[in-house]
Order: sequence, then structure tokens, then C-alpha cells
Amino acid sequence: MELLHHIFAFNSESPLLFTQFYFWAFFAIVYAFFALIMSSQRSAVSHQRLHLRNIYLLFVSWFFYYKTSGLFLLILAFVTLSDWFIAGRIKSAISHQQSAISKVLLALSVVIDLGLLAYFKYAYFFTNAINDIFGTGFRVFDLFAYIGNGFSEAGRFSVDTIILPVGISFYIFQVISYTADVYRGRIQPVKNILDFGFYVSFFPQLVAGPIVRAEEFIPQLYKPFHLSRRWFGLAVFWILNGLAKKIILSDYLAVNLIDRVFDNPLLFSGFENLFALFAYSLQVYADFSGYTDIAIGVALSMGFYLPKNFDSPYKSKNPQEFWRRWHMSLGRWLKTYLYIPLGGNRKIGFGTYFWLSIIALVSAALTGWWWQILVPFGVFMAGVAVADKVFKGAKDSKDHNAISPRRKLLYSNLNSFITQVLGGLWHGASWNFIIWGGINGIGMIVNKIWREMNWHVRFGSMTALTFGLMALDAVYNLPVWRLFAVWAVIVWVGTAIRYIYWLIIHEPSATSHQPSAIINALGNAWAILQTFTFITFTRLFFRSSSNLDPATANEVAWATAKNMVNQMGGAWNNAVIPDFLWEYRWVVAMFVTGMVIHWLPTNWKRRYRLWFSAMPLWLMVIAACVAIVVIYQFVTADMQPFIYFQF
Amino acid sequence: MAGLGALCLVLPGRIAYGENELRWPTLAEVLDATEKPDSLGDLGNLGSLGSLDTIDIPETPDIPETPETLKTPHIPASPVIPDTSANTDSRIFLRHFYASLAEAGERKVRVLHYGDSQIEEDRMTMQIREALQKRYGGQGVGLMPLAQTIPTRTTRQELRMNGRFTAPQQGPKRYLVYGPKRDQRADGLYGIMGQVAVMNDSIVTGSETITAVCKPQTASAHYEQWKIFADSSVHYTTSGDTVHLQGRGAVYAISQESRTGVIVDNIPMRGCLGLVFNKIDSAQIASFCREEHVELIIMQFGGNAIPTNKNPGTIKGIVSGLREQVRYVRSCAPEASILFIGPSDMLTQEDGEWKTYPMVPYMDRLLRKMTMEEGVAYFSLYQWMGGSGSMKRWQESGLAGSDGVHFYRSGARKAGNAVADWMLEGMEN
Repeated sequence: MELLHHIFAFNSESPLLFTQFYFWAFFAIVYAFFALIMSSQRSAVSHQRLHLRNIYLLFVSWFFYYKTSGLFLLILAFVTLSDWFIAGRIKSAISHQQSAISKVLLALSVVIDLGLLAYFKYAYFFTNAINDIFGTGFRVFDLFAYIGNGFSEAGRFSVDTIILPVGISFYIFQVISYTADVYRGRIQPVKNILDFGFYVSFFPQLVAGPIVRAEEFIPQLYKPFHLSRRWFGLAVFWILNGLAKKIILSDYLAVNLIDRVFDNPLLFSGFENLFALFAYSLQVYADFSGYTDIAIGVALSMGFYLPKNFDSPYKSKNPQEFWRRWHMSLGRWLKTYLYIPLGGNRKIGFGTYFWLSIIALVSAALTGWWWQILVPFGVFMAGVAVADKVFKGAKDSKDHNAISPRRKLLYSNLNSFITQVLGGLWHGASWNFIIWGGINGIGMIVNKIWREMNWHVRFGSMTALTFGLMALDAVYNLPVWRLFAVWAVIVWVGTAIRYIYWLIIHEPSATSHQPSAIINALGNAWAILQTFTFITFTRLFFRSSSNLDPATANEVAWATAKNMVNQMGGAWNNAVIPDFLWEYRWVVAMFVTGMVIHWLPTNWKRRYRLWFSAMPLWLMVIAACVAIVVIYQFVTADMQPFIYFQF
Repeated sequence: MAGLGALCLVLPGRIAYGENELRWPTLAEVLDATEKPDSLGDLGNLGSLGSLDTIDIPETPDIPETPETLKTPHIPASPVIPDTSANTDSRIFLRHFYASLAEAGERKVRVLHYGDSQIEEDRMTMQIREALQKRYGGQGVGLMPLAQTIPTRTTRQELRMNGRFTAPQQGPKRYLVYGPKRDQRADGLYGIMGQVAVMNDSIVTGSETITAVCKPQTASAHYEQWKIFADSSVHYTTSGDTVHLQGRGAVYAISQESRTGVIVDNIPMRGCLGLVFNKIDSAQIASFCREEHVELIIMQFGGNAIPTNKNPGTIKGIVSGLREQVRYVRSCAPEASILFIGPSDMLTQEDGEWKTYPMVPYMDRLLRKMTMEEGVAYFSLYQWMGGSGSMKRWQESGLAGSDGVHFYRSGARKAGNAVADWMLEGMEN
């Protein structure tokens, strides 16, 4: 009886996660029944069987979610029901040409979905922000717990804390995309609520994505089941690949170096902090992409295709490209349902001004720097209005409706900045994530403007910036300026080399000059390195302790970033580098290996993936067993002892 | 899955090759593993898996009979010393300190708190200071190094050389009794903090001027006067929160303090085992303790011996070395009471699971025995936390870092308050 309770009851101490044995036992049983359902007709599976499969996987997914999140399953069920119902009514309103009703219904759906997300994810954030701004002392109150207790503050559930349901950020975005797509007429509403429930709850991607759009997934529900030998091999590959990323790269690096540096940056020299920061970049990637690789593999083994979520993001040559390769399903979602509705690169409207004003007002209120922020913001907005007018005249003479490139750049920059800031807030409900989003937004804008410049202007502005930062470092001698100055000098050297090269080969008459392959490769490597470094430094604000209350987590995150900058800019210690590299040789080796694999050419990766998937079954079994044994060695590896190099 | 299951059945748990071993879970371990929580890593930061459970820290302490075998470690709100015969009685060794507190209204009563990285940033010391000053008066944070490489929460310290802001690491040459060889000096003149900054160490002319600005950040850090402990060849002036120094020679410490009441000095020694006191010139320690009315010396060491030593013999040797240090300190300050704070619970990963280092309870027992024999009070941080495995619970409650060794500020606050309460309670009894 106890065993049954253990297997079927929710236990917050042991959620179902891909890295646990329990999940794989669960999946083995699920798969056995899945195979039984699908195996009776080999060539064509009847409609009824597909229906049975969908219902089976829906209940399995709900069980998975119950094991992971307990009674929050009701929230999942509620949004499923709500969006299914509203989308159906929207379609009906559109058919009867009642556009006002369809708009109201869409708004209702978005309010319900975002309201739930705001309640569970941002209640602490908003409460703290209001308390900070108005000096009030509000505390969160869990209404759902209150109702669950029979309208009482005492009972089974605590009303003083609001717990975040696992995966809510992902499935809320999925249902919003569904309803919005029905409203736009891109998809037809799903007739059967169980099929819709399956789309929302499909367990491999339920808790950490990818965020699957209805138009990509729902058609798969009705397609005949097909799982080729190669697909199966690919599924096994993605699962092993994901486990290796998560356990060998992410967890090993985190436990043995990154966590301890981020917890106590002052215990480590500047070099150790810098190394840990770069390693953290790899860890975040390996952790998240490892998880989605497993999700893709598990889904594929059941014949479902989930979209790619990461495309070697640290190969990006600029921040825009990075955001096209990183968490691609979120990027696509934000582009479709936020950036484009804001106006994209075609306009700036109420939404753009509204969000920019909100960002400025909230920043001013929280920092207390009212005039220091609002005056420059006012000047900036006036500048935007003037620029909009000035650029308006520069449109293409052949097409009167076309928007001039400069205007497009202006619109696109403003709307992408808002998208980045709000995207930052999606990642976590605290200020450090908003700052992180803001820095990324600024990085993208700077890069876009940089690419519009000619080489004379680039070199001139980089030289001025470098001298400016060096002067600030010389005058104030603060670690943060030291760090900026060093970075500027490095970038300046690269810019100077490229500028000189451009001067030498530049022939105004020969515009078609193509640099050699080596020069191209060097240029790309330089761009990749710069982008990787930029993204890595934004991660100073990306880390937040989930086991602290939000206000403390925010304070700790800020202190961590500050201390790391102080160490990197003020306590750099060359003497510790050889000792560190030797004593942490396994950590360093894992980091280097991870980066080398990451930077392997895409063709190579595709080749070894296909090679693995085409292996004879017996060889694949052996390879999988060897891989699991190797991964297990890292699970159980002895911990790297704590060594102080900095005194 | 079947293949892997078969491997579990066929393979033993470990296969040794050379000095290493290949590990594989046995079937029993696999079945048991379902209870093992996963470290969520960064997915927790992505807002999706962030808060899987609530934090539950019991405020009412349980008193375990045998903490070593506790299955569910607890975090008591007030100190719980399970083995009362050893720890509670050990407070009788603080009687000199207790007696001196009665005179705190008329004179200074100084407490030196030495420790390893667990007390860096004024952690734990701050709570002890606040508790004692609240009851017996006294102001200021006490001793600080001229070049503060580890910022504290209580005082914001800046260093300027020849008027220019300078990172402490780039400031005057520092010699550390607990540092690597390149940072040590042969004459043993490290001063009371075990570290010294030497002005114009390599400049013959001695033209370098140093300014230290130390701004109190908390109410309890406000002070009455500056005191500078330096060679007579170093000249200084103070104005407000700033001290200007010039000349050539050693600066052992700068201090913000009061003329009367309790002064508690935070003296962290990173990575130190506590075996360095006899490398400090005994005359320096003795004269400081005499002139500055040092009535209590707190030594908080032992943690740095744990991760690298698996052999009980080595631990025994280290404790024996600590006994020598206690005797040395006592010989320098024969009147002062001594309190030893043992290591906290500390975790390591073994077969993928976080477990207490086996040597922690052993060292704790040895330290308790040694301190009792030497007439030194002993506070067992390890036992107070709840014994074996309690650090895991502290981590989950946001009280300790993911390295399984260091407290977060919240944890240090809890531990510091516990030590202070325990000391004051001993006085009442």
C-alpha cells in the first residue's frame, strides 16, 4: 500500500524530472502501453487508435504533471478548458462576422491567461515593487489556498506563500498562441477538448518547453503514426545527448566550481570569477538545451516532432543572431505575439510608447532617481518623435508606401528593446532579470547601429570610447571602469586590425571584393568571441537563488554581480592562474570540451547524429549503455575539494 | 531500459581500475533513488521549476538524543547542545570574561574573534558584537586591516594611495601569517590581526601617502574614536571617517571603537586551519592584549581540515596542533578567557549524494575533549545545527551556500545569534 502511495501520490520532495531514475521507469511503462496501442496495425493505424493514443497520452501527461506539481493540475485543466472554449466562440463570432465580439473574447482569454501567470509568478514581484515605491507593507495572500481551506486562513494550505506551479510560464504561452492563432484565422479551433488538452499537456515539453505552437503540433495528432528506424535512433541520440549535457557539463561544472564562486565571489580571485562566469554561460546552455534535447528525444520516440529550441547559440556573430539561436521557441513566440503586434520594424504606436513609459516610470520610482531618469527619457522620446519625422522624408522614391531604412531601424530598435525587457521578466520575476533583458536590448541596438556605420566611423567611435573608458579608469580607478576599459581595449585592437585590413584591401572601384576564406574565418571567430563575451557578461544578472524569498534573492543577485565585477576588475591575480588550472583541471577540461563540441561545424554534428541513428540495433544498445555508464561516473564523481588561491 | 536494468543486476557497485573505480548503481540503489531530489540547476531560474516546495524551518527546537543518527535534521532557532555535560559546563571557562563585563561601563572590554572564511565579511562576529554591545555598551566595529580585501556589510572601506582610489589588492604590500609563503615574513611581526600592511615597503624615499575611508553602514558600527596600530615611523591624522597615513613602516590595524564598553573584532583568516598563532610574535600579542583589555579570545577553526583529510590520524594531529595554539595564545594572554567554536556541518558529494564529511563529527568530538582539557569553552556549531546532514537542510532553506560549507548571511546571522545567546545565557546561569 505504501509503495502504491509512493508511486501515485504527489510528493514535492521528488518531482518527476528527466534526470531521475523514476522518470525513466515511468517512461518505460508508458512506452510499453504506447507500443501496445500502436502495434496492432502496422501499416495504417485507424482513426480510433489514434484517438485512443491521444487520450492515453493526455492522461499520462496529467499524471506526470500531478506527480510534479500536485493540485496545480487543476490550473492546467482550467486554462485548457478556458482557452478551448473561448477559441471555439471566437471562431463562431468570426464566422458570423462579429469582429467586436471576437476581439472581446480574445482579450478575455489573454486577461485570464496572463492574470493567472501574474498571480502565480509575479505576485511577490509586484507586491515588493508597490511596497518599495509607496512605502507600504503589503504581503502576498494566496487566494486559492484560502478557497482550498474552505474560505479560511488556517487549514491544509498556507495562505502566506504563493507557490509557482511548475511549467506555468510555458503552457500559458502555448494556450495564448492557440487562441491568438484562431483569432487570426491561422488555424481552425480543435473540436475535441481531449485533443486540445493533449496539445497543452504533452508531458515531454510540459515543464520546460519547447513552447510548441498549435499550428505546429495539432496536425500531428491526426497524422498516421510513423516511427522509422532512423527516427527511433535519433530519439535515442537526443535523449543521451541531453543527459550528457545536463549531467556532465551542467551539473558537474556547477557543483564543482560555478555555484561556489557565485555564492561567494569574494573568496576567489578575479581570474577565477571570470572563468566561473564563462563556465556559467556554458552551464546555462547545457542545462536548458539538455533538458529540451531530452524532451525532443522522448517526443520523437512516440512519433511526435517538437521544434528545435537551440541552434548552437554561442556560434552567433552578433546579439540578434544569438536570440535567433537561443531558446528559439520563446524567441518565435515573442516575435509573433509581442514584437510584431507592437509594430515590429513597420511602426511605433500606443503599445511602444506605453511600455517605454512604464519602463521609465517604474525604474524612476524604484531607484528614486526621478528627474535623473524622467528628464533624459523625455528628451529621448522627443528625439524619437523628431527622428521619426526626419526619417519620414527619406523614403524610397519608387514606393511611396515603403518605410525608409532608418525609420525601420528606429522602429525595430524600440520594439525589440521592449521585447527584450519583457522577455527578461518572463525568465524570472525579479529586477535582475529585467536588467538582464535591458542589457540585451541595448546590446542589440548598439550592434545594429554599429553595422550601419562605415569603417571610418566605427574606428573613430571605438577609439573615442576606449579613450573615454581609459580616462574614467585613470581618474576613478574603480573595478567596474577597469573592466570596461580592458574590454574596450581588446575590442579596439580587433577593430583597429579590421580597419587597417579594410583600408589596405579597400578599393572603391572594386566593390565586389571578397575576403579570403581565412580572413573570413578570422573575422567570424572574432565576432563569435565578442558576442559570446557580451552574452556571458549579461549573465551576471541572470542568476538568482530560487530558494530565497524574492526580495532577498534580488538583493543577493545584485550583491553577487557587484562582488564579481569588483573581483574581476580589482582583484585579478595572475599568480593563481597556473595553480587554478592545475587544481581544477577536470573542471577546466570539461569546460573546454563542452565549448569545442559546441563550436564543431553543424555538418559534423549532423553527420555523427545520422551515423548514430543508423547504427545496427545491437551496436546502438551497447553505445547507449556505455554512454549511460560514463554519465553515471559524473553523477557519482567525488567533489572537487575547496581550494583557496586568493588570500 | 531493459539493457540498463540488466547491467544493474550483473555489475557490482564498483569496479576498481588502478587508483580509480568505475561506479554503477546496484538494483537496490536504483530502487532507492526514487526519493533522491534533483538539483534543478538553472531551470529553476527560468521561472518554471523555481519553487517546487515551501521552505519549512521549525522555530521550536527539537532536542535530539543522538544527533549523529538523526534522520531528519532540524534547524533550531536557539542553541541546542545535545551533550549538555560537555558544552554547557564549558561556559564556566568564560568566568573571567563574564566578570570583566561588569566593568564594561568604566573601561574597554575587548573580544578578539578569529576564524576561517566562515566569519568573513563580519559574519557571525557582527551578531556577537551587537548582542554584547546592546547589553554592556560599546561602539564601533573594532579592528580592520588597512587594506580590506574582503568588504564587510558593516563598514564600507576605501583605500587611496597618493589621493587615488586603489583596489586593496593593489595597495601597500600585505603580509599574512595564514597566506602563501610569498606573503609571509620571517620576523613574525604580523600584529594582532595576523596580517600587516607595510607602507612604502619598496620605496626608499617613503613618499607614499595612504588614505583609508571607513564609513559605518549599520547603526551598531558607529564609533567614538579612531585607534591606529602602527609602527612609530608611520604618522597619521584622522578626520571624520578618514585616516591619513604617511611614512614608512607597518600598519597592523586601524580601529573604530569606543573608550568604554565591549569591542568585538572580526579577524577572518581565509583557508586557515588555526595553526598559525605561534608564528605571530608573542610580545606583540601579549602587549596588545594587556593594553587593550582583551578579555575573551574566540577561535573558530577546524573546517579547513575536513575536505582534504579522510584519515582520523591526521585529524587527531590537527587537533593536537590546535591544542598547542590554544596554549600559545594563553601564554600570551593568560588572563583572557578562550572560546573555541568548532566547524559547522559540512557536505560533500559521495556517489551523487550530498553527505556529511565523515571527519566532521570526529573532529567535533576531539575538539570538545581537547578544549575541556585545556580549560577552554566550546561551542559545537555542528551539534547546534542538528548534527549529520543538517547542512543540507540549511541549503534548502536558503541559509547556506551550495558548496555545502559556507553560510549565507542569513545562516551566519542565525549562527552568530546562537553563539551570542549561548554566551549570555551562561552568564545568567
